[in-house]
Amino acid sequence: MNRRVFSVILLPTSDCNVACEYCFERKDKHRLSTKLLPLLTSRLLDHLENEGIMECEVYWQGGEAMMMGPEWFVAAGRLMECAAAQRGRHFIHYLQTNLISYSESWNEVLRTMFQGSLGTSMDFPNDHRKLFNGSAEAYTRLWTRKLRAAQAAGIKVGVIAVLHQGSLEAGPEKFYQYFTEELGLTDFQVNTPFPGGPAGEVEGAFQLETSELAAFLASLFDIWVERGFEAGVSLGPFDALIDHFTGRPARLPCIWKENCSNQFISIDSKGTVAQCDCWVTSYPESFFGNIFREPDLTRMLRTSPARRQFVERPRHLVEHEDCLSCRYLSICHGGCPVRTYTALGTMMAKDPYCEVYKAVFGRAEAHGRTISRRNVDRSRLRTMALDET
Amino acid sequence: MSVWLRDRSPALQWIEVEGLLHDFEVWTLAAEDTGEVPLDVVLVEPAREFSDLYRLVDVRAGRDVRVSIPAKPGFLKAVRLAASLGLPVRLLPGQPAGEVLDELQEALAFYLRDSMVEAPIEFFHSALAWLNGASTGSLWRVLEKDPAVYQRDTVDVTRSQPSNLGIDPSEDFGAVFLGRLITSGAECASCPWCHFCAGYFKWPDPDYSCTGVKLLFSALRAAVDEIEDDLSAFETQSAGSQSSL
Repeated sequence: MNRRVFSVILLPTSDCNVACEYCFERKDKHRLSTKLLPLLTSRLLDHLENEGIMECEVYWQGGEAMMMGPEWFVAAGRLMECAAAQRGRHFIHYLQTNLISYSESWNEVLRTMFQGSLGTSMDFPNDHRKLFNGSAEAYTRLWTRKLRAAQAAGIKVGVIAVLHQGSLEAGPEKFYQYFTEELGLTDFQVNTPFPGGPAGEVEGAFQLETSELAAFLASLFDIWVERGFEAGVSLGPFDALIDHFTGRPARLPCIWKENCSNQFISIDSKGTVAQCDCWVTSYPESFFGNIFREPDLTRMLRTSPARRQFVERPRHLVEHEDCLSCRYLSICHGGCPVRTYTALGTMMAKDPYCEVYKAVFGRAEAHGRTISRRNVDRSRLRTMALDET
Repeated sequence: MSVWLRDRSPALQWIEVEGLLHDFEVWTLAAEDTGEVPLDVVLVEPAREFSDLYRLVDVRAGRDVRVSIPAKPGFLKAVRLAASLGLPVRLLPGQPAGEVLDELQEALAFYLRDSMVEAPIEFFHSALAWLNGASTGSLWRVLEKDPAVYQRDTVDVTRSQPSNLGIDPSEDFGAVFLGRLITSGAECASCPWCHFCAGYFKWPDPDYSCTGVKLLFSALRAAVDEIEDDLSAFETQSAGSQSSL
């Protein structure tokens, strides 16, 4: 059995119902037709067979995925699962949404197709996520109402927060309190921003100073370990790093994989295939091909000159950057290609957030050591208690 | 290689692959196969080939992969990258001298101290185990160079391991070889590591000076002592906490 995990970031539309200032995607009203979905599914399954992979994770994103409506997803999920079952394969579906279109009519499909969970996004403070013709405050109010409704319906919600200058100014304490106490979340993650796509010029103004960002993340890490770690709060990517540094199997985020090109692709509503959603929505020069026009996805991935760049990037970095001498190479491998490309105009360089990552890894290593020692102590105390009884 | 990867013969225990690491297509195809038969990927020029180890990432998901690295100048790059990819390493030291000995010391420090290292780096790993009392067999066995156990029918077999040197296959090759060295007055007679090494570093040149190699073993011994000290300190500390409960 091949232990590889293959994931597809599937964009049924790149249309969106909000107007976030730093969105890197090019909006397009085109939607994935249920008439084309069988072909897309069949080509994905062919690829899984060719690669000897049994299971495929499908991350539905947009644009705004919920603009497709719940009935569309019910039909899509049924169609894909049926096709997969006939070939002894299995799809696992995840949904990333801005929640703005959420209503109780989504609950059934969320429970049946998405394991009763969804992922959404919110920043603290929210300065840049806005409704069309509306303010950030109005967005926050509406999003919070939808979040409460989903939570009340028993939907498990994970939140991605993109850091910006306002987050750094607010500080990690207020940031952590907002997500855990004000919103009552037990699962959220922090992402670093990057000036990609059409928002590049706007977002360029939001470039964060690396030492300030590193200090913020290090303090946030400390706060989470002190209050959240043992209380069951999952804060990515810190939780995965703690898993790594305490010797548990860790699923690190895609930006730190040995080579993201081995792990996933993204496909938009027109069938365009690229490395991830960032590339498929913003950088035509990096497209691998089109899944509707080319009959063999495996061959497309194997022969695409654009993909070859992704495949070869880690090799290039250990030869030309200082990554090989870095003690965190095994959990970073030069970082994210898109963050590098948007900042430097080439992906053949290490991630500009290198120093930030090192600070976070250092923190994780120190906390991991403390937690491991504590676990050993507890285990011994338990053994001694058992011996006494 | 595709033919070998699909070979399901029970007699096939592993596949040794040499000189193909640069070939992108070979490893792309190899990643599509899964199987029980592990791969031993042998580097020829590690300082030049090291970055190609990234080609093994997907292959490793389908079968076990080990990397064999000859100790040539610049080999540490390959060791570091293999370790960062979680690949087990078999380091082939030969009769190291000069800068390679220095690099072996660096490699040993990396193996002993760096948190990045999770998979074994041989021969350090077995030497450490032997110093801790494990029955590992001799270095000949550990590095799979014992001709009584590992027979190689290749064009140039003497390049990588000795022939049986007239030693009966039913005998312990390492013990007999070491006995001959001691009889001939080699420094092995007074070497504290001779039962593990069994004269490995005296082949092919029996006059090779083991001074540098002995420093490697001394460093390993010091690490074992350090671990023992840490463990006993921990025991004492734990006993203290128990009595104060």
